[in-house]
Amino acid sequence: MLDVEQRWELIDKIAKRTIKFGKYRHTLQDAIAEITVKPLTGIPIAIAVLYGFWAFFVAFARFSTDGFLVKLFDMHWLPWLQEVFPAGKESWLYYIFVGDPLAENCFEAFGMLTSGLFVVIGVVLPAIVAFYLVLIVLEDSGYLPRLAVLIDTVLHKIGLHGYAIVPSILSLGCNVPACTACRILETKKQRFIMRTILAIFIPCGAQLGIMLKVIPETVGWVILYLLAGYFILGFILSRIVPGESPELLLDIPSYQRPTFSNVGRKLWVRTSSFFTTAIPFVLLGVIIINVLHLTGVIDWLATGLGPLLSGWFGVPKETVGALIVAFLRKDLAVAQLSAIEMTKYQMVTSVVLVSIYFPCIATFVMLLKEGGVKGFLGSLAALVATVFLYGGLLHLIWILLGVA
Amino acid sequence: MKNKFASVYFSVFGLIVLGLGIAELIIGIAGKSFTWSILEISGGLLLWKGIILFFAGFFYLSSVKNLSEIHQLAKNVMASVMLWTIAGMQIFAIITESIPGGEEGWINTWEGFLSAYSPPYIPALILLPFSLVTVYYVYAREK
Repeated sequence: MLDVEQRWELIDKIAKRTIKFGKYRHTLQDAIAEITVKPLTGIPIAIAVLYGFWAFFVAFARFSTDGFLVKLFDMHWLPWLQEVFPAGKESWLYYIFVGDPLAENCFEAFGMLTSGLFVVIGVVLPAIVAFYLVLIVLEDSGYLPRLAVLIDTVLHKIGLHGYAIVPSILSLGCNVPACTACRILETKKQRFIMRTILAIFIPCGAQLGIMLKVIPETVGWVILYLLAGYFILGFILSRIVPGESPELLLDIPSYQRPTFSNVGRKLWVRTSSFFTTAIPFVLLGVIIINVLHLTGVIDWLATGLGPLLSGWFGVPKETVGALIVAFLRKDLAVAQLSAIEMTKYQMVTSVVLVSIYFPCIATFVMLLKEGGVKGFLGSLAALVATVFLYGGLLHLIWILLGVA
Repeated sequence: MKNKFASVYFSVFGLIVLGLGIAELIIGIAGKSFTWSILEISGGLLLWKGIILFFAGFFYLSSVKNLSEIHQLAKNVMASVMLWTIAGMQIFAIITESIPGGEEGWINTWEGFLSAYSPPYIPALILLPFSLVTVYYVYAREK
């Protein structure tokens, strides 16, 4: 055992051998690190980074989905399945598993083995891979903490701080790990606000992939509308929810080159969890919706909720099926919307409604687990009010523009 | 590379980048497209590309005074990185569009593949080779 004096001597010896004294000269890397956190230079750079993020996501998803997987599913998988499926085309089994016997593509068939598999593997998987790949590169390079510093001032206006960018961006991949990531925020108030606004307003990667396919021209506007809602609801909640919103103290690491092995490992961990959480829910969702269709429940609900849907939100009553399936999987719900006949504006409203309507069941469970019963009920109340007000507001905008 | 020559080069280059950024912004806001020789200003996210080019040009111009100073050079490098982001994503998009075969088959024909790489090009792609001078400058300075 060393006494205090001996310890200090040891510290001195180690310091002499490991620390070099002299004048530190700024390197180019240091200077770049500095300008990426200063608002005047950092914000334009952040815009370029986010543009690169989105452009890569879109190009990669289009290449995989439109380039190869649509062809594989529509020209080979669907005709083969329609031919070899053992049950007759009139049977309920055929309806549930293969869907519409006259369908010419997997999007419209809406069977478990057609639309279900196509949505998961053909559309969502490439989007998820592209999203996580870029996110991991940004994480490992050290850019994300800088983004947190840059956005800190803006997020303070809604009771959060810069670190809230981590669950927000994670949520663009999947809301479930994002709910857990809210733990990095210090107070109960901050965690509640973050969980609530991300569950309502941030579309997951799966949903983004489908939105890109269903409403490619208007997806930017939908995201902008959701982003506005994110800040409006955050601002309101920060004013009415009691509690504190402390300042951000953040240690920014230096820039590093991401390694292939780390990126590969993280990508595998994140995408493999998608297989276990998403696929069962999507397939189950298709079965439930098809059973509800066969038993006439969807028609009954559409008739009952018709006045609300068409009167308040301005969307066709047939969207009720998509809203039900949205509780299981939002990506599947958006895919189902594409098969319903409606105007461009009704489609945008429907997609927004599906996004802000109840979060998917997996996120629901996480809200309960992370927030407790009280927090969960609070999020639920905010959600119901938001759906009615924000969904109705969009309808009002269309009326004022003269397009609804 | 002489600092004075580098400053003059990046002043001219910065002005061109800034000008093309403004052009993309105007055309993007108007919702039109523009093609001249091998240059094309059109396509998705035009406004965003315009904003990025505008700031890249602004960074180039603000870096030319005392360019060899490390903070000034960092601005110059980041301006190039912003430009490379747009150009790189465009090249990636061209590659991903050139490979699938469309209606005819799984893989594109040789003619179809090559035609994907033919002009016109977006401004960032045309500016890309000229921005590589930054790499040479950083390399020469460190040497």
